[in-house]
Amino acid sequence: MRIEKCYFCSGPVYPGHGVMFVRNDCKMFRFCKSKCHKNFKKKRNPRKTRWTKAFRKAAGKELTVDNSLEFEKRRNIPVKYKRELWDKTVEAMKKVEEIKVKRQARFIMNRLKKAKQLEKEEAINEVKKNICLIKAPHAGKAKQLEDKMVQRLQEDVEMGDEDN
Amino acid sequence: MAFPRFSPLLAQTSAVFQRNFSVSAAAAAIQKMTRVRVVDNSSLGNTPYHRPPRVIHVYTKNSVGKVGDKVLLAIKGQKKKALIVGHKMPGDRMTPRFDSNNVVLIEDNGNPTGTRIKVPIPTSLRQMEGDYSKVLAIASTFV
Repeated sequence: MRIEKCYFCSGPVYPGHGVMFVRNDCKMFRFCKSKCHKNFKKKRNPRKTRWTKAFRKAAGKELTVDNSLEFEKRRNIPVKYKRELWDKTVEAMKKVEEIKVKRQARFIMNRLKKAKQLEKEEAINEVKKNICLIKAPHAGKAKQLEDKMVQRLQEDVEMGDEDN
Repeated sequence: MAFPRFSPLLAQTSAVFQRNFSVSAAAAAIQKMTRVRVVDNSSLGNTPYHRPPRVIHVYTKNSVGKVGDKVLLAIKGQKKKALIVGHKMPGDRMTPRFDSNNVVLIEDNGNPTGTRIKVPIPTSLRQMEGDYSKVLAIASTFV
Protein backbone atom coordinates (compact mmCIF):
# COMPACT_ATOMS: atom_id res chain seq x y z
CA MET A 1 0.00 0.00 0.00
CA ARG A 2 1.40 3.35 -0.96
CA ILE A 3 0.23 6.93 -0.68
CA GLU A 4 0.72 8.32 -4.19
CA LYS A 5 0.91 11.93 -5.28
CA CYS A 6 -1.80 13.52 -7.40
CA TYR A 7 -0.44 14.48 -10.81
CA PHE A 8 -2.25 17.79 -10.85
CA CYS A 9 -2.20 19.22 -7.34
CA SER A 10 0.60 17.07 -5.82
CA GLY A 11 -1.64 16.19 -2.90
CA PRO A 12 -1.68 12.71 -1.31
CA VAL A 13 -3.88 10.05 -2.89
CA TYR A 14 -4.86 7.55 -0.22
CA PRO A 15 -5.96 4.03 -1.15
CA GLY A 16 -9.60 3.96 -2.18
CA HIS A 17 -9.59 7.55 -3.39
CA GLY A 18 -9.25 9.17 -6.75
CA VAL A 19 -8.94 8.03 -10.33
CA MET A 20 -6.05 6.61 -12.33
CA PHE A 21 -5.70 7.19 -16.04
CA VAL A 22 -3.27 5.38 -18.35
CA ARG A 23 -2.33 7.23 -21.52
CA ASN A 24 -1.36 5.48 -24.73
CA ASP A 25 2.30 6.31 -24.20
CA CYS A 26 2.04 4.16 -21.04
CA LYS A 27 2.32 7.13 -18.69
CA MET A 28 0.07 6.80 -15.63
CA PHE A 29 -1.71 9.75 -14.09
CA ARG A 30 -3.23 9.66 -10.65
CA PHE A 31 -5.75 12.23 -9.49
CA CYS A 32 -6.82 12.78 -5.92
CA LYS A 33 -10.25 14.14 -6.75
CA SER A 34 -12.47 14.93 -9.69
CA LYS A 35 -11.45 18.61 -9.55
CA CYS A 36 -7.90 17.68 -10.56
CA HIS A 37 -9.16 15.09 -13.06
CA LYS A 38 -11.46 17.60 -14.78
CA ASN A 39 -8.75 20.24 -14.94
CA PHE A 40 -6.45 17.68 -16.53
CA LYS A 41 -9.07 16.81 -19.12
CA LYS A 42 -9.39 20.51 -19.88
CA LYS A 43 -5.66 20.37 -20.68
CA ARG A 44 -4.75 22.92 -18.01
CA ASN A 45 -1.10 23.17 -17.12
CA PRO A 46 -0.61 22.50 -13.39
CA ARG A 47 2.40 24.81 -13.39
CA LYS A 48 0.11 27.66 -14.30
CA THR A 49 -2.89 26.83 -12.13
CA ARG A 50 -2.39 28.94 -9.07
CA TRP A 51 -3.71 26.63 -6.37
CA THR A 52 -1.47 23.68 -7.18
CA LYS A 53 1.78 22.90 -5.40
CA ALA A 54 3.50 22.73 -8.80
CA PHE A 55 2.72 26.41 -9.39
CA ARG A 56 3.77 27.41 -5.87
CA LYS A 57 7.11 25.68 -6.14
CA ALA A 58 7.76 27.00 -9.64
CA ALA A 59 6.87 30.55 -8.55
CA GLY A 60 9.15 30.38 -5.49
CA LYS A 61 6.32 30.62 -2.98
CA GLU A 62 7.33 27.43 -1.18
CA LEU A 63 10.49 25.71 -0.09
CA THR A 64 12.10 23.86 -3.02
CA VAL A 65 15.75 23.12 -2.22
CA ASP A 66 16.28 21.61 1.20
CA ASN A 67 17.93 18.59 2.76
CA SER A 68 14.72 17.46 4.40
CA LEU A 69 13.08 17.20 0.96
CA GLU A 70 15.83 14.90 -0.31
CA PHE A 71 14.41 12.08 1.81
CA GLU A 72 11.26 11.98 -0.26
CA LYS A 73 13.02 11.49 -3.57
CA ARG A 74 12.93 8.10 -5.19
CA ARG A 75 15.99 5.90 -4.83
CA ASN A 76 16.57 3.20 -7.41
CA ILE A 77 18.97 1.09 -5.34
CA PRO A 78 17.24 -1.68 -3.38
CA VAL A 79 18.29 -2.03 0.25
CA LYS A 80 18.59 -5.40 1.99
CA TYR A 81 15.98 -5.88 4.68
CA LYS A 82 17.17 -5.43 8.27
CA ARG A 83 14.78 -5.12 11.15
CA GLU A 84 16.75 -2.46 13.06
CA LEU A 85 17.13 -0.41 9.90
CA TRP A 86 13.39 -0.59 9.38
CA ASP A 87 12.64 0.53 12.94
CA LYS A 88 15.19 3.34 12.80
CA THR A 89 13.78 4.50 9.47
CA VAL A 90 10.31 4.82 10.94
CA GLU A 91 11.66 6.96 13.80
CA ALA A 92 13.73 9.01 11.36
CA MET A 93 10.70 9.57 9.14
CA LYS A 94 8.79 11.14 12.02
CA LYS A 95 11.68 13.43 12.91
CA VAL A 96 12.32 14.41 9.29
CA GLU A 97 8.64 15.24 8.84
CA GLU A 98 8.76 17.50 11.90
CA ILE A 99 11.83 19.34 10.67
CA LYS A 100 10.45 19.64 7.14
CA VAL A 101 7.20 21.18 8.33
CA LYS A 102 9.07 23.70 10.50
CA ARG A 103 11.38 24.68 7.67
CA GLN A 104 8.52 25.10 5.21
CA ALA A 105 6.63 27.26 7.69
CA ARG A 106 9.71 29.37 8.35
CA PHE A 107 10.26 29.88 4.62
CA ILE A 108 6.73 31.16 4.18
CA MET A 109 7.00 33.39 7.27
CA ASN A 110 10.19 34.95 5.92
CA ARG A 111 8.50 35.56 2.62
CA LEU A 112 5.59 37.29 4.31
CA LYS A 113 7.76 39.37 6.69
CA LYS A 114 8.63 41.82 3.95
CA ALA A 115 4.99 42.80 3.73
CA LYS A 116 5.09 44.27 7.26
CA GLN A 117 7.93 46.59 6.36
CA LEU A 118 6.28 47.66 3.10
CA GLU A 119 3.04 48.25 4.99
CA LYS A 120 4.79 50.49 7.47
CA GLU A 121 6.40 52.55 4.72
CA GLU A 122 3.10 52.85 2.93
CA ALA A 123 1.41 53.98 6.13
CA ILE A 124 4.03 56.65 6.71
CA ASN A 125 3.61 57.94 3.16
CA GLU A 126 -0.13 58.01 3.54
CA VAL A 127 0.10 60.00 6.76
CA LYS A 128 2.50 62.47 5.16
CA LYS A 129 0.19 62.94 2.19
CA ASN A 130 -2.94 63.45 4.26
CA ILE A 131 -1.42 65.26 7.26
CA CYS A 132 -4.07 67.97 6.85
CA LEU A 133 -6.67 65.49 8.16
CA ILE A 134 -4.78 65.14 11.42
CA LYS A 135 -3.16 68.50 11.99
CA ALA A 136 -4.21 71.92 10.66
CA PRO A 137 -1.59 73.41 8.26
CA HIS A 138 -0.98 76.46 10.47
CA ALA A 139 -1.25 74.48 13.68
CA GLY A 140 2.18 75.04 15.27
CA LYS A 141 3.22 78.15 13.30
CA ALA A 142 2.25 80.68 15.99
CA LYS A 143 4.32 78.94 18.66
CA GLN A 144 7.19 78.58 16.19
CA LEU A 145 7.13 82.30 15.44
CA GLU A 146 7.07 83.12 19.18
CA ASP A 147 10.04 80.85 19.79
CA LYS A 148 11.95 82.45 16.93
CA MET A 149 11.27 85.93 18.25
CA VAL A 150 12.36 84.91 21.72
CA GLN A 151 15.57 83.47 20.27
CA ARG A 152 16.24 86.70 18.25
CA LEU A 153 15.67 88.85 21.31
CA GLN A 154 18.08 86.68 23.32
CA GLU A 155 20.69 86.99 20.58
CA ASP A 156 20.24 90.78 20.54
CA VAL A 157 20.69 90.89 24.31
CA GLU A 158 23.86 88.79 24.03
CA MET A 159 25.22 90.99 21.23
CA GLY A 160 24.41 94.04 23.37
CA ASP A 161 26.31 92.48 26.32
CA GLU A 162 29.33 91.69 24.09
CA ASP A 163 29.46 95.25 22.84
CA ASN A 164 29.40 96.49 26.37
CA MET B 1 -51.45 11.81 9.64
CA ALA B 2 -53.42 13.33 6.79
CA PHE B 3 -50.54 15.66 5.93
CA PRO B 4 -48.15 13.13 4.35
CA ARG B 5 -50.95 11.87 2.16
CA PHE B 6 -51.77 15.32 0.87
CA SER B 7 -48.28 16.52 -0.08
CA PRO B 8 -47.67 14.18 -3.09
CA LEU B 9 -51.04 15.19 -4.51
CA LEU B 10 -50.13 18.82 -4.14
CA ALA B 11 -46.84 18.18 -5.90
CA GLN B 12 -48.60 16.53 -8.83
CA THR B 13 -51.18 19.24 -9.33
CA SER B 14 -48.62 22.09 -9.16
CA ALA B 15 -48.37 24.47 -12.07
CA VAL B 16 -45.01 23.10 -13.27
CA PHE B 17 -45.75 19.47 -14.05
CA GLN B 18 -42.52 17.49 -13.63
CA ARG B 19 -42.09 14.28 -15.55
CA ASN B 20 -39.64 11.92 -13.92
CA PHE B 21 -38.09 9.06 -15.77
CA SER B 22 -35.00 7.17 -14.84
CA VAL B 23 -31.82 7.96 -16.74
CA SER B 24 -29.00 5.51 -16.34
CA ALA B 25 -25.68 5.48 -18.17
CA ALA B 26 -25.30 2.93 -20.92
CA ALA B 27 -23.39 -0.03 -19.54
CA ALA B 28 -21.49 -0.69 -22.75
CA ALA B 29 -17.70 -0.83 -22.75
CA ILE B 30 -16.68 -3.12 -25.63
CA GLN B 31 -19.38 -4.52 -27.87
CA LYS B 32 -19.79 -5.76 -31.42
CA MET B 33 -18.24 -3.55 -34.08
CA THR B 34 -15.90 -1.68 -31.71
CA ARG B 35 -12.48 -1.04 -33.11
CA VAL B 36 -9.78 -2.23 -30.75
CA ARG B 37 -6.07 -1.82 -30.37
CA VAL B 38 -3.96 -4.97 -30.22
CA VAL B 39 -1.20 -4.42 -27.67
CA ASP B 40 0.97 -7.53 -27.88
CA ASN B 41 3.81 -8.10 -30.30
CA SER B 42 2.13 -10.74 -32.46
CA SER B 43 2.56 -10.43 -36.21
CA LEU B 44 -1.19 -10.63 -36.75
CA GLY B 45 -1.77 -7.67 -34.49
CA ASN B 46 1.06 -5.49 -35.74
CA THR B 47 1.08 -5.87 -39.52
CA PRO B 48 -0.85 -3.00 -41.12
CA TYR B 49 -4.15 -3.69 -42.83
CA HIS B 50 -6.55 -1.30 -44.47
CA ARG B 51 -9.24 -2.08 -41.87
CA PRO B 52 -8.78 -1.80 -38.11
CA PRO B 53 -9.44 -4.94 -36.04
CA ARG B 54 -13.08 -5.07 -34.96
CA VAL B 55 -14.99 -7.06 -32.36
CA ILE B 56 -17.56 -9.37 -33.92
CA HIS B 57 -18.66 -11.32 -30.87
CA VAL B 58 -18.40 -10.90 -27.12
CA TYR B 59 -18.34 -14.04 -25.01
CA THR B 60 -20.41 -12.77 -22.07
CA LYS B 61 -24.04 -13.12 -21.11
CA ASN B 62 -24.95 -9.52 -21.95
CA SER B 63 -22.67 -8.94 -24.98
CA VAL B 64 -20.78 -6.21 -23.14
CA GLY B 65 -17.07 -6.69 -22.75
CA LYS B 66 -15.15 -5.44 -19.73
CA VAL B 67 -11.59 -6.16 -18.60
CA GLY B 68 -10.98 -9.91 -18.53
CA ASP B 69 -13.68 -10.87 -21.03
CA LYS B 70 -12.93 -12.83 -24.19
CA VAL B 71 -14.04 -11.52 -27.56
CA LEU B 72 -13.86 -12.58 -31.18
CA LEU B 73 -11.98 -10.23 -33.46
CA ALA B 74 -11.94 -9.84 -37.21
CA ILE B 75 -8.29 -9.11 -38.13
CA LYS B 76 -6.85 -9.15 -41.62
CA GLY B 77 -9.83 -11.07 -42.92
CA GLN B 78 -9.57 -13.80 -40.28
CA LYS B 79 -11.33 -14.53 -37.02
CA LYS B 80 -9.25 -14.54 -33.85
CA LYS B 81 -10.08 -14.67 -30.16
CA ALA B 82 -8.75 -11.98 -27.86
CA LEU B 83 -8.78 -10.88 -24.23
CA ILE B 84 -9.78 -7.36 -23.19
CA VAL B 85 -7.11 -5.74 -21.03
CA GLY B 86 -8.36 -2.17 -20.81
CA HIS B 87 -11.14 0.04 -22.05
CA LYS B 88 -11.93 3.75 -22.28
CA MET B 89 -15.06 3.48 -20.20
CA PRO B 90 -14.60 4.04 -16.43
CA GLY B 91 -14.93 0.68 -14.73
CA ASP B 92 -14.78 -0.53 -11.13
CA ARG B 93 -13.70 1.98 -8.54
CA MET B 94 -10.09 0.94 -8.07
CA THR B 95 -9.29 0.04 -11.69
CA PRO B 96 -7.44 2.32 -14.10
CA ARG B 97 -9.05 3.86 -17.14
CA PHE B 98 -7.16 3.54 -20.40
CA ASP B 99 -6.93 5.90 -23.33
CA SER B 100 -7.83 3.19 -25.85
CA ASN B 101 -9.61 -0.17 -25.92
CA ASN B 102 -6.71 -2.58 -25.51
CA VAL B 103 -6.83 -6.23 -26.42
CA VAL B 104 -4.39 -9.17 -26.37
CA LEU B 105 -4.69 -11.86 -29.04
CA ILE B 106 -5.31 -15.31 -27.67
CA GLU B 107 -5.67 -18.89 -28.93
CA ASP B 108 -8.69 -21.08 -28.24
CA ASN B 109 -6.97 -22.68 -25.27
CA GLY B 110 -6.12 -19.33 -23.69
CA ASN B 111 -2.46 -19.12 -24.71
CA PRO B 112 -1.41 -15.68 -25.93
CA THR B 113 -0.34 -15.37 -29.56
CA GLY B 114 2.37 -12.78 -28.93
CA THR B 115 5.41 -13.07 -26.70
CA ARG B 116 5.51 -9.69 -24.99
CA ILE B 117 3.09 -7.01 -23.83
CA LYS B 118 4.61 -3.60 -23.34
CA VAL B 119 1.42 -1.71 -22.45
CA PRO B 120 0.49 -1.65 -18.72
CA ILE B 121 -1.95 -4.40 -17.75
CA PRO B 122 -4.38 -3.93 -14.85
CA THR B 123 -3.53 -6.06 -11.82
CA SER B 124 -7.21 -6.86 -11.31
CA LEU B 125 -6.71 -9.60 -13.93
CA ARG B 126 -4.84 -11.61 -11.31
CA GLN B 127 -7.90 -11.90 -9.08
CA MET B 128 -10.24 -12.75 -11.92
CA GLU B 129 -11.53 -16.26 -12.40
CA GLY B 130 -10.13 -17.83 -15.51
CA ASP B 131 -6.67 -18.87 -16.54
CA TYR B 132 -4.96 -15.58 -17.33
CA SER B 133 -1.61 -16.62 -15.89
CA LYS B 134 0.04 -16.97 -19.30
CA VAL B 135 -1.08 -13.50 -20.37
CA LEU B 136 0.12 -12.04 -17.06
CA ALA B 137 3.41 -13.85 -17.49
CA ILE B 138 4.26 -12.06 -20.74
CA ALA B 139 3.21 -8.64 -19.46
CA SER B 140 6.09 -6.33 -18.54
CA THR B 141 4.36 -3.54 -16.59
CA PHE B 142 1.33 -3.61 -14.34
CA VAL B 143 -0.95 -0.79 -13.35
